[in-house]
Amino acid sequence: MKRASIIFALLLFALAACSGNDGSSEQNESGDNNTLSVWAWNINVPVIEKAAEMFAEDHPGFELNIVETGTPDVYQKITTGLQANGEGLPDVMLVEDDRLQGYLNSFPEAFVNLSEKGFADDHMDKFPEYKTELLSKDGDMYGFPFDSGPAGVFYRVDLFEEAGIDANAIETWDDFIEAGKVLRDELDVALTGIDINNDDGVYRLMLNQQGTFYFDEEGNVDLTSEESVKAMNVIQQLSEEGLNENLVGWDAWIGGLANGTVATAPSGAWLSGSLTGQAPDMEGQWGVFPLPAMEEGGNRAANLGGSNYMISSNSEKVDLAYEFMEFFSTSDEVQLYAMENGLFPSLNTIYTEDVFSEEVAYFNDQPIWTMFADLIEDVPYANYTGDYSLARDEATKAQSRAADGNDPAEALEEAAKQLENRLNK
Amino acid sequence: MKQSKKFPYLFIAPAVILFIVFTAYPIIASLYLSFQTYEGGSYSFAGLSNYTRLLEDSIFWKALGNTFIIFILQVPIMLLMAMALASVLNSQLLKLKGFFRVSFFLPAVTSLVAYSLLFSIILQDNGILNTLLNAIGIENIPWLSDPFWAKISIVMAMMWRWTGYNMIIFLAALQNIPDHMYEAASIDGAGKIRQFFSITIPNLKPIILFAGILSTIGTLQLFDEPFNLTQGGPADSTMTLGLYIYENGFEYFDFSYGSAVAYVVVVLVAILSYFQFKVTGEKS
Repeated sequence: MKRASIIFALLLFALAACSGNDGSSEQNESGDNNTLSVWAWNINVPVIEKAAEMFAEDHPGFELNIVETGTPDVYQKITTGLQANGEGLPDVMLVEDDRLQGYLNSFPEAFVNLSEKGFADDHMDKFPEYKTELLSKDGDMYGFPFDSGPAGVFYRVDLFEEAGIDANAIETWDDFIEAGKVLRDELDVALTGIDINNDDGVYRLMLNQQGTFYFDEEGNVDLTSEESVKAMNVIQQLSEEGLNENLVGWDAWIGGLANGTVATAPSGAWLSGSLTGQAPDMEGQWGVFPLPAMEEGGNRAANLGGSNYMISSNSEKVDLAYEFMEFFSTSDEVQLYAMENGLFPSLNTIYTEDVFSEEVAYFNDQPIWTMFADLIEDVPYANYTGDYSLARDEATKAQSRAADGNDPAEALEEAAKQLENRLNK
Repeated sequence: MKQSKKFPYLFIAPAVILFIVFTAYPIIASLYLSFQTYEGGSYSFAGLSNYTRLLEDSIFWKALGNTFIIFILQVPIMLLMAMALASVLNSQLLKLKGFFRVSFFLPAVTSLVAYSLLFSIILQDNGILNTLLNAIGIENIPWLSDPFWAKISIVMAMMWRWTGYNMIIFLAALQNIPDHMYEAASIDGAGKIRQFFSITIPNLKPIILFAGILSTIGTLQLFDEPFNLTQGGPADSTMTLGLYIYENGFEYFDFSYGSAVAYVVVVLVAILSYFQFKVTGEKS
């Protein structure tokens, strides 16, 4: 009896320990009313720190408690927090474009509706349309637009010259592939370094530029569209013609770009930051041209990546958080500072600033920022939906199969069928 | 008297409480979760629907198949290698024993991320391994991008990490086998190989069982290597149950379904452990 009662007491104690935290004590990690907690990573951290300094000039005592957590770890933490009804989440968190709709759809109550706060009415037209649409659900905005990833093809100016290729003459993906053949035959250099089995980024760029995506506007699976098949065809040609070096993982890819085994990288503007950071001695060897079009005269603008800030509904300082983030995302000064840190801002009021027309020494004195700023307005909206992760998984498998020699249309049909199955759970 | 009877419980209290909070509670909660479904922000009871969904999920079956292929390739070879290494390191003739023991054990305590990164660099299409193979006249092997070779890569990485760990367990057991058995065998004319199979292995039986069960559980939960090296690709050919559980929870926000897969792993571990007990003839 005695023993049983002691064990019972232990159990009770343990249960009490489980439910001991009623949410008021540890929430948001910072106690006083003038401090906000933020989760962000990498080059985003100095930008928001700087913004906090500027904001504090008008709001004495304002402080940020920044917890630096890298991707993808931060998403595990955010997902866990959202599952626990917002418990343990910071006031403000940084979320990348491709994750955002998934969170909004699965956890509709977890984020502060910015339209109710007036953000959409006041600032909507200061950002590209593709971005504001991405941040909206049922007509309301839930995220502060931050950086964008307008795409271009980063290419090795010196290698192109050596092989006698004129980058400006590359207007379509067919031209691009022809250039790749020359590089292969003349210099034995790969055109692209796509991680065929894990990353469908280039395929996604081609979908985006043609105005389609994994899903159509109503959210139906759209992997078998004509545009999608064309895009997958390009990937297959790159692979079958021996123009692609299969570089597995981010480090291998950056390595391939830095050591010269790969001559181009179709990617978002943010790659410039990684190149200048990881291969500083290659100044003057890189240039950028706009994404090739699928057909001559077709759209050459697309977006890859980018991120946004969101406020947790669980925050006790929603008003302060809103005020600060509104300042952060619409202040020219802050966004220009982000620019200096290698992030391409979505805020279009700064695109006329001098810094955009500057010639960039690293990129062979090309004014690359003007190019990106001109492109961003034409980026079509992509319907990520809440099922983006599942769709990407199937699209990547289709890419593997197509690169393996299977008919791209069939590979995509198979993927679409699988995806439908997984969605009708 | 009463006082002294309570003491043992006070001493085990911290361990028991931690066990309840961090092990027992999650186990029960995830079982509960596996009978629910998540729709638009809240959970509701779903009966067995997560489990019936498993039956029709081709990725689940593929993950199960992959897990077993990796299990069958990896566990026996690794245990044999570990035993052989342990026997060699236990030999009287060997110098620098400490050095070798530490070297073989080091992989087990190496940072997971560092080791995955190294392996992924080594295994690239133009990586060190292929460069070496080219030097002896073998064509490039697509270590990470071919369904078959990707599995082999996972197996190699796991061997590298766990062989030394099991070796240490065997080494400890070997040192408990009395020398006179080997001396007697030598006098009777048994060679080294015969001694290994007739004395070493029978004496190691309980330890082989122990290491076998640990490795079985470890392989069924396999997550680290595919997550870091191949992300389950190409085309799910290295998808494992552990990775699938993670993806369902953290990529697709379907924690209920992930929990259902986790409970399949629990049942499998129980069944396999039972057979291992049977085969090695333990009566417990």
